[in-house]
Amino acid sequence: MPPSDAELAKEALAGSEEASRELVARYAAPAINFVFRLVHDRALAEDLAQEGFLRVFQRLKTYDAERKFSSWFFQVLRNVAIDYLRVHRLQTSSLDELTEAGFQAPEADGTSSSPERLAEQEGLARAMDGALGRIRPEYREVVVLRYQEGLTHPEIAEILGLPSGTVKTYLHRARKELATLLKPFA
Amino acid sequence: MPDRKELERWLLSEETGQDDAAEAEFAHLFTALPKVEPGAEFVQRTVSEVWRMRARRRRILALGWVATIILVVAGAVTAYVASPFLATEVIKTIAFAGGRSVPWLVAYTTVAMDWWWTLARVGGAVASALMTPARVVAVLGVELVGILAFFALQRIAGAERLGDAHV
Repeated sequence: MPPSDAELAKEALAGSEEASRELVARYAAPAINFVFRLVHDRALAEDLAQEGFLRVFQRLKTYDAERKFSSWFFQVLRNVAIDYLRVHRLQTSSLDELTEAGFQAPEADGTSSSPERLAEQEGLARAMDGALGRIRPEYREVVVLRYQEGLTHPEIAEILGLPSGTVKTYLHRARKELATLLKPFA
Repeated sequence: MPDRKELERWLLSEETGQDDAAEAEFAHLFTALPKVEPGAEFVQRTVSEVWRMRARRRRILALGWVATIILVVAGAVTAYVASPFLATEVIKTIAFAGGRSVPWLVAYTTVAMDWWWTLARVGGAVASALMTPARVVAVLGVELVGILAFFALQRIAGAERLGDAHV
């Protein structure tokens, strides 16, 4: 049975390089994806995720093993991303720009061949990314934590320091805003 | 990859107010978004960086200890070797400086206090002549509005920094 995150954190704190490596390997993809959805830049997401890991290991002493490691981890990572976003404004692309850049709302005949279908799906993915970049930052965070990282409402509430009810409200409003933005692409 | 039919199903659920179905369909759609894979070197690079940071911190800590020990030992040796001479010199210096500075200090403090009491009397007289209860309420009101305006400005500035255009 593989060691839990909390066990790995304890071993890493004691100086185990192997445990540190395992912890980084487990959280590398979620960390990069989480930051990527916030900053929309792959290279920057990697840099910020690395900075997040550095801060996590720097503060490993303060981690309470009673808490879920992922919640604590994302809390630290979020602070790194927020610190960055405070200084640098987020560049967002409007959906009109995406359309002008080549993405068109797909044909409704359903007879598209495979490459066309792939292009359509890629376009839709870009449109969703663009729409996500246009909603309020706090909505974006809860959407990513809920639907990408699969965290529960209480876990998200703990990470963001919000009441659980507010998280639910944010998720609901975020979905409504995204629906409005993505309607022209259906 | 997200699919157009899934998008349509989700939008329909949102429009018809089927909240649970909309939630599930949106989750499915969002999960289908392409993920960013970490670069091949990411884990190794990050672990190396973590280890470098730890080594640096350990070095700084060790240097701090060494510097502290050196300072303590040097201080103790200096105190032991030079204490008879130093003690005499220190007492002489304090007595010399004190003898000259205390009268000046007393004189300047007396003058400053005179000015202070004069200003306080003038201020008190002006305030009692000008400040009726109605004026006090008006001044407090203006201050309260000013504080609220400052608070609102801070909130707006904070939201602007976060790129939140909805506030």
